[in-house]
Amino acid sequence: MISKRLIVQFLLKNKRLVKGTAFDGYVDVGDPTSQAMIYDAQGADELIIVDINASSQERIINTQIINEIINKCRLPIAAGGGIKDIRDAKKCFESGADKIVINSQAAINPEFIKILANEFGSQSVVVSVDVKKNKKGNYEVYIFSGSQRIDSKLENYLEKIVKYGAGEIIITSIDKDGVLSGFEYELYSRLKGMLAIPLIASGGAGCYDDMVRLFNESDCDACAIGKMLFLRDYDIVRIKSYLKGKGILVREA
Amino acid sequence: MKKIGIINYSLGNVGSVCSAFKFYGYKVNLINMPNELKNSDFLVLAGVGNFLTAVMRLKEFKFWDELNKQVLIKKKPILGICLGMQLFADKSYESKLTKGFGWLNGDVIKISETKKIKIPHIGWNIVMPVNKNSLFKDMRYNSFYFMHSFHFIPKDESIVISNTDYCGINIVSAVKKNNIVGVQFHPEKSQGDGLRLLRNFIEELN
Repeated sequence: MISKRLIVQFLLKNKRLVKGTAFDGYVDVGDPTSQAMIYDAQGADELIIVDINASSQERIINTQIINEIINKCRLPIAAGGGIKDIRDAKKCFESGADKIVINSQAAINPEFIKILANEFGSQSVVVSVDVKKNKKGNYEVYIFSGSQRIDSKLENYLEKIVKYGAGEIIITSIDKDGVLSGFEYELYSRLKGMLAIPLIASGGAGCYDDMVRLFNESDCDACAIGKMLFLRDYDIVRIKSYLKGKGILVREA
Repeated sequence: MKKIGIINYSLGNVGSVCSAFKFYGYKVNLINMPNELKNSDFLVLAGVGNFLTAVMRLKEFKFWDELNKQVLIKKKPILGICLGMQLFADKSYESKLTKGFGWLNGDVIKISETKKIKIPHIGWNIVMPVNKNSLFKDMRYNSFYFMHSFHFIPKDESIVISNTDYCGINIVSAVKKNNIVGVQFHPEKSQGDGLRLLRNFIEELN
């Protein structure tokens, strides 16, 4: 059987690794390559690396960093930040990324998902969706690093992404990002049984039981974690052994 | 020193494959021209993406005929990874019916159109070797990274050297027929066991 994945989520600002709270207040947490080597050695199942400034600076993620990481690590890497045409995507793949991550472009031009899926295969296209809960308790989708709301309803938007050929979806709760208080459980449990492609939960992981609860209450295939590794005393080995003890199927490494 | 040639037909990620083989100190060459194939002792055909695109690129770069010659006549050992393995089949139904190399009899089809399971099959899954075979020698967990929507259904069961269960569907995860080896997963992305598998491939077919 396939195991639940623990994905380490890297945010890049220039060439440094950063971590913030609710998409703001970023602090430096190290060098991406040396950090990647640490989590690879601990047995992380995957790495997602996204440059948060790339879009606004009209460039793509630094592909040299991807290349450095793939030469030193042996885990799958999804890369994103500023990818808006096939050429950008190609550069990421050529530098060694196994998947690419797109966010705002998927909302602006859903056809782009299809173009990427046709060229590189669905399994290599991850669509990242940032959401915020409004006062009525509904989840709304935001693009451009949480700065602009889009009109479609979350469920409709997700359906559309799947229809256009995305291979995976990562949904980040902006409210929970970097708060370490647990995932937006309600969101993921609402989506249970709805998506025909793998789903990754992101935002809020702060302790072992957060992941246990997420996997018990939803059918998420993976969770992304960041701050609890960078700024708290957790590591992948201990997290996996805890989850295993709670009956969650994780990969031993 | 044996030379490993990684075929570069501008589809997908050859960097990781190169760097994984280099880990053991093997001499690795990126092969950009078909006439370089003959200088390698081992060949690796990786690749992600679309079957049809891959066939078109291999033909466009004139790799097709030379690969047939090296693999079928010269019996050079070749490892196909993911789409690379699928290309060894007779044909694939991805996008439209497309002929593969036909070195291994069987077809490539979508994992499941009917059953309610998540496709693509993405993540770490257990590989169950059939009998004892040296490709899976010294594995610690037999866990490998998969990312695919299509899979190979061989006509001849005897070439299957490992299976993997995905939500009740059997995926043929590795095949071997003489000098031809194919894996559906990504050893170059599968940490310790992945590296060991690449080494086993070289040692076994040496």
